[in-house]
Amino acid sequence: MTGVAVRAAVLIAAVYGTFLIFAQFAFVALLRAGGAGPAMERALLGAMAVTGILGGFLAAWGSPRVKSVRSALVAVGLSAALAPLAHHWMAWLAVAAVTGAALGVATVALSALVRGWCGVGWVGLGTGLGYACCNLPWVFNQSPEVQSWIGAGFAFTGALVIPRGGDWRAGAAAAPLRWWAAVAMFAALVWLDSAAFFIIQHVAELKAGSWGAGMCWRNALVHLLAALAAGQMLRRGGAGVVPVLAWALLAVAGLAANGRETLQLAGWLYPIGVSLYSTALIAWPAWFGGAQDPKQAGWRAAWLFALAGWVASANGIGMAQSLRVVPPGFVLAAGAVVLSAVLFSAKGSWRSALGPVLVLAAATAGTLKPAQPASLTAVERGRQVYLAEGCIHCHSQFLRPGRLDESLWGNAESTRNARAGVPVLIGNRRQGPDLATVGARRSTTWLREHFIAPAKFAPATSMPAYASLFRDGRGEDLIAYLQATANAAAGFNVAASADWTPAPDAAKPGPAAGAPMFAKWCVVCHGTSGKGDGELARKLTKPPMNLVNGPFLWTAGTDMLELKTARVIKFGIPGTDMPGHEVLTDEQLNALTAYVLSLRGGLKNGRDAFPKRPGE
Amino acid sequence: MMPAEPVRTTSPGVAAALRHALGWLVAGNAVGLWLAILQLKPGLAVGDWTYGRWVPVHLNVQLFGWTSLPLVAWLLHRYEVDRSKAAGWAGTAVWSWTTALAVGALWWLDGRTSGKIFLDWRDGSLWGLVAAMSVLWLVLAAACRERAPGWNTLRKRWSWAGLAILATVPFSMIYAASPRVYPPVDPTTGGPTGASLLGSTLIVITLMMLLPRAGAARGEGRAGWGTWTYLANCWLVFGAAEWIGGTHHQLHQIGAMALLLPWAWLIPWDWAGFEWPEGSRVWRAGLFLWWGLLVVSGVTMYLPGLLDRIKFTHGLVAHSHLAMAGFTTAFCGLVVVALGGKAMGGARSVAAWHLAVLGMIVVLALMGLAEGGSYDWMLETPWWRKAGLHFRACCGAVMLAASVVWWNNLRKI
Repeated sequence: MTGVAVRAAVLIAAVYGTFLIFAQFAFVALLRAGGAGPAMERALLGAMAVTGILGGFLAAWGSPRVKSVRSALVAVGLSAALAPLAHHWMAWLAVAAVTGAALGVATVALSALVRGWCGVGWVGLGTGLGYACCNLPWVFNQSPEVQSWIGAGFAFTGALVIPRGGDWRAGAAAAPLRWWAAVAMFAALVWLDSAAFFIIQHVAELKAGSWGAGMCWRNALVHLLAALAAGQMLRRGGAGVVPVLAWALLAVAGLAANGRETLQLAGWLYPIGVSLYSTALIAWPAWFGGAQDPKQAGWRAAWLFALAGWVASANGIGMAQSLRVVPPGFVLAAGAVVLSAVLFSAKGSWRSALGPVLVLAAATAGTLKPAQPASLTAVERGRQVYLAEGCIHCHSQFLRPGRLDESLWGNAESTRNARAGVPVLIGNRRQGPDLATVGARRSTTWLREHFIAPAKFAPATSMPAYASLFRDGRGEDLIAYLQATANAAAGFNVAASADWTPAPDAAKPGPAAGAPMFAKWCVVCHGTSGKGDGELARKLTKPPMNLVNGPFLWTAGTDMLELKTARVIKFGIPGTDMPGHEVLTDEQLNALTAYVLSLRGGLKNGRDAFPKRPGE
Repeated sequence: MMPAEPVRTTSPGVAAALRHALGWLVAGNAVGLWLAILQLKPGLAVGDWTYGRWVPVHLNVQLFGWTSLPLVAWLLHRYEVDRSKAAGWAGTAVWSWTTALAVGALWWLDGRTSGKIFLDWRDGSLWGLVAAMSVLWLVLAAACRERAPGWNTLRKRWSWAGLAILATVPFSMIYAASPRVYPPVDPTTGGPTGASLLGSTLIVITLMMLLPRAGAARGEGRAGWGTWTYLANCWLVFGAAEWIGGTHHQLHQIGAMALLLPWAWLIPWDWAGFEWPEGSRVWRAGLFLWWGLLVVSGVTMYLPGLLDRIKFTHGLVAHSHLAMAGFTTAFCGLVVVALGGKAMGGARSVAAWHLAVLGMIVVLALMGLAEGGSYDWMLETPWWRKAGLHFRACCGAVMLAASVVWWNNLRKI
């Protein structure tokens, strides 16, 4: 029996391989190379879908048979082998029609018969092998012509290994989902996958991040392992879990594909999600559709592949062609369908569904209100951004009287009326500094650059990058809001700076101790040599100070030079982009001051101790 | 004393509420773990869904999912919805609640927040929650109308009074969630006053006094008129101290908080008079441990000097986890066992949960003490903070694993 199961797994791999490498990749590439325009391409792929649906129903109508699968695989193999020779629309149409019809017959008949040959775990192996083979570098990176012939090779291999006979026994357990719910669920998954796949394939950066050089082996392995896991989960009663998990992974992958920083995540999660649901898709008609014999399974497969396969796939691609991104609403809609199918179809009733409908209707009604008045000022809009982004969960806007707060960030009197705000934005925690008076302590330019890449200013910071806020004006509004306190707290830096001196008992390390601090917090503007040529120097309103040659406006002369320098480091320079480093201890300030002065004084021991930043 | 038989409900509504509660616990813990990871690797955030947008999801899922749904199950049980003609609608109420919370989660991720911790409902999400509360109330009212004739007079009166109080909850939520309403603030900390803390804890105490008397256990308990009078007096003091206001440096606010101390002993003492369902002992023991720690540490941390040091630090995060992950989870675990008639998990998963919570609390408290002494960690990110955050993530992973085990166990009730 194991031999039959292995043959079945190879057959599944062969059918998937032919479909993926030829129908989905090589044929489309051949059309484009042959000069078929977008309209022609759509028409030909449409013809493939129509004949695919017809072929599937034909296979179901005539009862799925082994010889149907074999004939279909031979046909699609010949079609794939001859496809590179086609250079006219009529020849392309013939290839598309034959390929679609043959794949329709093969997939429906295979899906109906496979239960007689092996357990559902083997379906995972077959699916994984199919995806893995297509992702091998010497398959994936071939020309369309060679890929067509490889596709033909897959088809002929499948025709040779088809098992005979089999023991098709219906299970006693009821179908985990109602049939219509399963179709809707897979339609949503294929829809999501097709759209995400199309976008990834057509945006160079995304493709490089997901299928770039060196990633083929990784993708092959991930596909194989995920499909194997899916097979085992299905075997152990996880028929409801696999599609939900697949959606969750595809959802995160789809959203991650929208951001440059999260592209890598998409590259990992997408193949896992695809392999999970692809395994379930092939196994569903025979094992989980409630079919009592191969003929019933065949009809279920025909409907499933027609609606969830061909139609949903075409819709997903069509949507992606117009939008070019995976919108969150689109992801959530797919998730709502998948979850509804699994939850309500499995255990609920129409009454259970009524509650959510009522709640959603109430939520929708509650959302229907007059649009935000256009007269809101930038500061008011910025306050809303502060709220929406959850800044209150990491930053306070409340200075406590008599505490360290007052000596670092401003007078407590300035936040006495914090409770009067609507809503109150006192905050509950400090992962970072209090922001009540940040507008008086930081320039607009500094705030902007810090929002875009906070790690450049504090390498191990927990603060996420908010570059996306500056693509639609939210960032500017947020800065306007933070800057609104500038006038109320103006002069704090100057006064605090004038009053402050390091504690007499604070240690005074030499310049070498300050060198790593300079590397972490100063180099980004002042440059590695301290000459004011750091990475962000050109973005600042005025070039940063050349700490080696000057001119030294704020720390001129030699009188109290150390104190003046330390005060500048601690409280910054009002009216410029030079920020304060208020939270540093006096010992840290002494060390940093010593290093900065060593640059000016030419004290070589300090400069020699300066470490290189990674990548320099 | 023989242990009481568990309720052993077969009610689909009660069972659904318990399943959903555990499901939300898993979801809340997953988000909590994700938050811990984001603190270490903020670059992993997907799109606009950064740390700040996930925080309200974590907080509200734990409160309105894991904590509230066992109480919903309790109400369904008390009003005998499962034995009434409204039985088929209990699932509707539970799914309404879950949908409202799911809508809320989408709202928070979309940046539509009111900024009010634990009352973060606005616009559509608020109306969704109000709709879910209304559905629940209608189901309870329908069951009460049908079943009440068979109850004794006392139970009948309490049940109708309970319904009357529950009818006000949606309106109270609309009022409390408004951004224009904010409780008194201690002007020296920016946080709640001692009276406010007393009030919120008295709600919990009242619930704990009612829980065994409303079907979770058998017997009469040990609390006599003296305990109930003390409870009433605590509420009166709360009202007076809240009206007066003040800071944690003033004696009347400290005194208000100190009124909580006897309850660390009174609750276990009262509960010892009841017969509890088999399998609930582990949760009661955990509950008493966390409750005692919560009360004593809460009062201690309110004292001048200590509160000044830990305010706005991980020290208060530790206390929040002591309240929610420690005490509340033990409380909900007890409710689940009492109503579900089935242990939530084996000794290993329960022990793993409590140990992970304890470890997390200790580490966060130590971090808080260190953070309050000097603020250089905001720029420096020293080793102890990195180590603490890593440890917290590990504890979060253990808690997530334990909750998955519990959910899996309860899935089939």
